[in-house]
Amino acid sequence: MSLALRLALRDLRGGLTGLRLLAICLFLGVAALAGVGSLSSAIVAGLNERGQAILGGDVQVSMSQRDASAEELAVFRAAGRVSHVTRMRAMASRLDGNETILVELKGVDQAYPLYGNLRLEPGALASRPSANQVAIGPELADRLAVRIGDDIRIGAATLRIIGFIAEEPDRVGQGFALGSTALVDRTGLAATGLVQPGSLYTSAYRLRLPAGTAPDAVTERFKTRFKDAGFQVQDRSDGAPGTRRFIERLGQFLTLVGLAALVIAGIGVGNGVTSYLDSKSGTIATLKLLGATSRTIFTSYLLQILIVASGALAAGLVAGAVIPSAVTWIAGAALPVPPRLALYPTPLLVSFCYGLLIAFVFAILPLARARAVPAGSLFRGSLESLPRPSWQWIALASLAAAAIAALAVTTSRDPGFAAIFIAAALGLLLLLSMIGWLIRAGAARLPRPASPLLRLALANLHRPGAQTGRLVVALGLGLTLFTTLAVIETNLSGQIRTTVPDRAPSFFMLDIPVAEVPRFRELARRSAPAGELVTIPALRGTVVAVGDRRVSEMRELPEGAWFLRGDRGLTYARDLPEGSRIVAGHWWAPDYRGPPLVSLDAEAARAVGLGVGDRMTISILGREIEARIGSLREIDWDTLGFNFIIVFAPGTLEQSPHSFTATISMPQDQERVFARTISKAFPSVSMIRVKEVVETVAGMFEQLSVAVRSAASVAILAGIAVLIGALAASRRARIYDSVILKLLGATRARILAAQALEFGALALILATVAFLLGAASGWYVVVEVLELEWAPDWGVVLAVLVSGAIVTLLLGLLGSLSALSARPAQALRNL
Amino acid sequence: MTSSYVIDASNVTLSLGSGDARVDILRGIDLRVAAGESVALLGPSGSGKSSLMAVLSGLERASGGAIRIAGQDFTRLDEDGLARARQGRIGIVLQAFHLLPTMTAHENVAVPLELSGADDAFAIAAAELAAVGLGRRLTHYPAQLSGGEQQRVAIARATAPKPELLFADEPTGNLDAATGNAILDLLFERQRDTGATLLVITHDLGLARRCGRILEMQDGRIISDRGSG
Repeated sequence: MSLALRLALRDLRGGLTGLRLLAICLFLGVAALAGVGSLSSAIVAGLNERGQAILGGDVQVSMSQRDASAEELAVFRAAGRVSHVTRMRAMASRLDGNETILVELKGVDQAYPLYGNLRLEPGALASRPSANQVAIGPELADRLAVRIGDDIRIGAATLRIIGFIAEEPDRVGQGFALGSTALVDRTGLAATGLVQPGSLYTSAYRLRLPAGTAPDAVTERFKTRFKDAGFQVQDRSDGAPGTRRFIERLGQFLTLVGLAALVIAGIGVGNGVTSYLDSKSGTIATLKLLGATSRTIFTSYLLQILIVASGALAAGLVAGAVIPSAVTWIAGAALPVPPRLALYPTPLLVSFCYGLLIAFVFAILPLARARAVPAGSLFRGSLESLPRPSWQWIALASLAAAAIAALAVTTSRDPGFAAIFIAAALGLLLLLSMIGWLIRAGAARLPRPASPLLRLALANLHRPGAQTGRLVVALGLGLTLFTTLAVIETNLSGQIRTTVPDRAPSFFMLDIPVAEVPRFRELARRSAPAGELVTIPALRGTVVAVGDRRVSEMRELPEGAWFLRGDRGLTYARDLPEGSRIVAGHWWAPDYRGPPLVSLDAEAARAVGLGVGDRMTISILGREIEARIGSLREIDWDTLGFNFIIVFAPGTLEQSPHSFTATISMPQDQERVFARTISKAFPSVSMIRVKEVVETVAGMFEQLSVAVRSAASVAILAGIAVLIGALAASRRARIYDSVILKLLGATRARILAAQALEFGALALILATVAFLLGAASGWYVVVEVLELEWAPDWGVVLAVLVSGAIVTLLLGLLGSLSALSARPAQALRNL
Repeated sequence: MTSSYVIDASNVTLSLGSGDARVDILRGIDLRVAAGESVALLGPSGSGKSSLMAVLSGLERASGGAIRIAGQDFTRLDEDGLARARQGRIGIVLQAFHLLPTMTAHENVAVPLELSGADDAFAIAAAELAAVGLGRRLTHYPAQLSGGEQQRVAIARATAPKPELLFADEPTGNLDAATGNAILDLLFERQRDTGATLLVITHDLGLARRCGRILEMQDGRIISDRGSG
């Protein structure tokens, strides 16, 4: 064993008092990072593992408002076993018409499901529905107040409930759903009469390929063969692309929040190492006196830190690795798929590297200073302040910090965002360091107050060894992060809960047959006289070419060109829709009858480089229509009205099979009667109650907030650990002060008041700084990144901030209490 | 140029601080000590005794002058060079013992031997502790030893590598009279046994008289240099 290691092990016998802070901070930071990484890996692995079941097959071809042509079907069948699933929104009602609820109607054939199992809850009358039967989600049964064996009506069909769905293997792959599932077979679907030319439904053809067939080859073949069919082809590796993207992005964001927590923890590491080495300065000087070189000293203490850090990192990794199991146990139902519980080495390795690098960055400079402890200090009886580390050490620490930034950027799915985040964190760190310096410098220059206790409070902020700078950085970062998240969170929920319902209609109604529109209008007017009704034609179509460029030939879609992916809603209109504003070109004349003309969303046009006069080709029900762009519009999406990216001029789409959709706003107390009247008279019309959508979305945001808050809490915990560590570091000086003051006749209350002043001033400054910085960064994320309205709930934000500041103050005072309780006689003997 | 003296210092100065805050601690010290000599350094507080010892033992670097210790030019060595120069050649005993609190008595004595690369560090340390009367206290930690015992360990630690030079800064300052006398007996006994040159700082004239030579310092200068007889 090397001498340095022997010395390190002997030194560690003295206990970990100073290194406990290092261990706690590293543990917290690494556990958070490893936990976030492991959980998102486990969910993505869950998605991958169930890829076939989630997609419903090895390959899925989906198309809007139509079934596959005979030629297409023949090609699908030649590739493997085919299952045909039709999905659409529909209304399910009790036979007495008292309750009508929106459902996701799903018509399946006998081959369904090709993978996974359809399972009904115990007590079902059959294993799967046939003919005039339906299986429904249990929450739908609750809301309709129906039981197994009861009948419900969907469209024109009366269907008997044979059971409640316990497991629907392809549910996640279907993405965001507003209603619960009503599952029927193809006969049941036909009986509803809802699948009509022009009604909004999706046909999916799932394929089970023979063993050994590569799905991507089949996908490629279909895409080449039916280049312009306007359908979407997916394979099992991308069963739920939206969910996967969401989980990966959320994981990425939480990783960055965790990284911010780790940076705060790093300050704790630095403080812990500094106070540990301070407590060892006598030992270091003695070792030098006995002939130890600075290299031996450095190596020995580096080894000690590595030993403790390794323990903390290992514990953090273990805690992080079990987080997916803990989250599954506590909140498994809220997760999109059951996570595949296993050990994921990559996130653990990345977290380990982060932890090790953070420990290195923050420990290296105190270590470099420890090298310089002069042996001669033993003769002088006191250890003077040490010189600053040389530039080589600072360069080494900077290099390790750059390695952290590089790791964060290279392991990120969105390197640009990660780079901005790192730059912002670095800027914040520098700014807070500067503020810490200013507070110290300001306190040193302020005129001395007459009261000795006030003088003491002021001096505590700037005297040698004061922890002010470190506290400002660590707690400032923690409070700023928390404030930023509070600003973002209250903005989101404010947007959904307050802004949206005020401006949103009461109902969206889909699939109103064209011929029935006048009767529908009349009935709506009579049943909701105060209602504001808007009806608008609706079709689905796929953009297949932009100018001369075929979308199918684009290797990658341009950024922001999401409207080129899959099929989109289309409409035609005589007048400019409400909430739209022309920014280029002109709106057409109401009686326009010329060649196809469209008005395009200005932002979408920018993304693909289109302008007025350019051409685009849209496939509607298999027919390609080339249209010229007549105008560009800016759309106010917040109205939650009908906002279509592509609006056709009159004269092109009227003859295509299509239906109308409608919105209506009305006082809430009329909604129930209105819904009942319309669904009785128009059983094929789907009604979406906006309030329910808002609640569903708000519920999702609530879950998101919990995830973000949990990650941010680690930052605050790390900040508190730093605060406690800083108090411990200045404990000796505080005991000395209070003992001397007591000796001179000061009461404990007066000494405590002086310390309350010190921590109060610090908490006030930190809260102000955190408020300003948090509001600014929150504004950036809300307005610039998310492009939402700026509407934070200042009450909540301030509450978060004030609680943070109060915790700071209370912890500070709590730390002082032990110093106050020191008995003068005993303390003087030991100091 | 080689020197026959173990300590050969001429015109040594030491100043701390700069500008108005500059304090001249040593002001041109000339000192030569031959091998095996025992020298007492007397003087009031602040006269520069401890600083002279720090400079001569390589714990502090002189601001000016020439210093050769056991044949090595200390003015040319950096901090680590000085540390290496101490290994095995210079033993130091301080008033406040300065034992390493997390190491046993045995380990404390072995450390300088380990640092100088001795193979049988622990065997030598055990023998040295036995020589100072602590053969049965090897596994005790400093906190488990009395003040006198701690200073014995410190003496054993200083003499174990058989140094050419032994420095002692008020070695009995923290001890009662009886224990102090016993420690001094031990110190001189170990000096005799090892043949080391001894330089001891003291306020105690009785102790000074046990040395062969007495130096007196005032205001950073040696004001007298005489034999103890």
